[in-house]
Amino acid sequence: MIKVENIHKYYDQQHVLKGINLSVKKGEVVSILGPSGSGKSTLLRCINFLESPTSGIVEINGKKVNSESASKKDILDLRTLTGMVFQQYNLFKNLTVLQNVMIGLTSVKRINPVEAKKKSIEILEKVGLQNRLNHYPVQLSGGQQQRVGIARALALNPEVLLFDEPTSSLDPELVDEVLTVIKDVANEGNTMLIVTHELNFAREISDRIIFMEDGLILEEGSAEQIFSNPSVERTKKFLSKVLRK
Amino acid sequence: MENLLDIGFLIESFPAIVARLPITIGIAVGSLIISLFIGLTTALIKIYRVPVLKTISSCYVSFIRGTPLLVQIYLVFYGIPKVIYYFQTEYGWFQNVDVNIIPPEIYALLAFSINLGAYLSETIRSAIESVDRGQFEAAKAIGMSPTQMMLKIIFPQALAVAIPNLGNMFISTIKDTSLVFIIGVIDIMGQAKILGSRGLAFFEVYIAVSIVYWIVCIVVERLLVIVEKRARRYERGFVS
Repeated sequence: MIKVENIHKYYDQQHVLKGINLSVKKGEVVSILGPSGSGKSTLLRCINFLESPTSGIVEINGKKVNSESASKKDILDLRTLTGMVFQQYNLFKNLTVLQNVMIGLTSVKRINPVEAKKKSIEILEKVGLQNRLNHYPVQLSGGQQQRVGIARALALNPEVLLFDEPTSSLDPELVDEVLTVIKDVANEGNTMLIVTHELNFAREISDRIIFMEDGLILEEGSAEQIFSNPSVERTKKFLSKVLRK
Repeated sequence: MENLLDIGFLIESFPAIVARLPITIGIAVGSLIISLFIGLTTALIKIYRVPVLKTISSCYVSFIRGTPLLVQIYLVFYGIPKVIYYFQTEYGWFQNVDVNIIPPEIYALLAFSINLGAYLSETIRSAIESVDRGQFEAAKAIGMSPTQMMLKIIFPQALAVAIPNLGNMFISTIKDTSLVFIIGVIDIMGQAKILGSRGLAFFEVYIAVSIVYWIVCIVVERLLVIVEKRARRYERGFVS
C-alpha cells in the first residue's frame, strides 16, 4: 500500500505540485491523466525520490519517508520498494538484455548470480524476449527495449511499479506489444501507477483514474465514472479533446 | 668525401637505446595510471561541486595547463626534496626518508602524473557528463548506491567516450618523456645523447631514437584501436 501525503514540489519559484494526497491499495492499478505540464510525471518521480519533494511524506508498505528529513539510506530503501519504467526506456546501454535485468538482483539485492540469472530469464520469457538475452539495447526495437525496461523493473519484485509514459516514445505500430505486456503485469496483481496518454488503454486496465492539472488532483474515480460522467468541467474538456483525435 | 650518415653507427646504437625503453614506457604507463586517479578524483570533485576542494582542483588544473611541462619537471625535481628536508628539520616529519637517495625516475614519474592528471581531469569530467541523464536515473530507480551506479553503469560508458582522447594524451606523454634526461634520468633519449657524444654522431643517434619513438607510438595506436573497439562493443554488436 502506498500513501502520498501533502507533496509539494517547487523548482525555484515554480510551484509544480501543490499538495498532492494519494493512496493506492495493494494490487490496485491507478492511471494518472492530465495535460502536459500538469505535474503527473513529477508526482511519479517524487514517489521514488528521483525528484526530492520540497515537502511531504511518501509511505510504501510501512516505510515512511519525510522529504524534509530523509536520509540517503531512507531514499535507497524506498527505491528498492519501487520499480520504474521510463518514457525513454533508459536501458543500461553498456549491458546486455540479460545483464540489464540481472544487475538489480546481483548488485542491489545481492542474490547470487546463478539464481539471479535463472530468475531474470524467467522474467524475460514473460515479456517474450528470451531469445534476445545477449543483445545490447541498441540492437533492439523501441518496443523490445521497453519490454526489457518492464522486465528490469519487475525483477526486483517491487511493491509498486511506476510507469512514466511508457509508450510515448514508441512508433505507433510498436505500442500494442508494450501495452499487452503492461496488461499482463496488471493482471498478475501488481500495484501500479501509470502516467499515460493512452486513454483507451487507461480506461481498460485501471481500477481508478486520477485527473491532474496545474499541480493538483482535480478529480478521481473509477474509469467508468471519469470517462462517461466526469464531474469537473476541465476533465470533460480534456477528455473530449483527446478522445476526438 | 665524407658520408652523410654513419649507417653502421646508427644500427649499432639501437640495442643500447632500446635497452632503456623500459624507463620510457615505465614513466609513461606509471604516470597514466596515477593520473587516471588524479583526473577522476578532480573530475568528481568538479561534478559534485565539493566546496573548497573544487576551488583547489580548478587552481591545480589551471596552473598545470598554464605552465610548461619543463618548468613543472624542474619544480618537482628541485622543490620536493627541499620541502621534505624543510619538514624534516623543522617538524621532524618524514624521518625515514633520505632525500639524497630518491632516484630521479621517481621525480619524473611524479611530475608526469601531476601534469597528465590535470589534462585528464577535463577529459574525464566531460566524458562523465556526456552520459545520458536517463542512465543515472535508471540506476537510481533500481536502488543502486552512487558508487554502484558509477562503477557499473556510468564509468564504463564514460570510458568508451573518453578513450580516443585518453589515447592521444598518452601518446603525447610518451613523447614528452624525452624531457626527463634533464633531471638525470637515462631514458631512450638520455641514452641517445650519451651515445651521440661518445661517438660524435648526433645525427645518427637522433635518427635512431626517433625511429624507436615512432615504432612505440604506432604500436600504442594499434593497441588503442583494439581497446576502443572493446570498450564500445555495446554500441554495435553481440557479446562474443
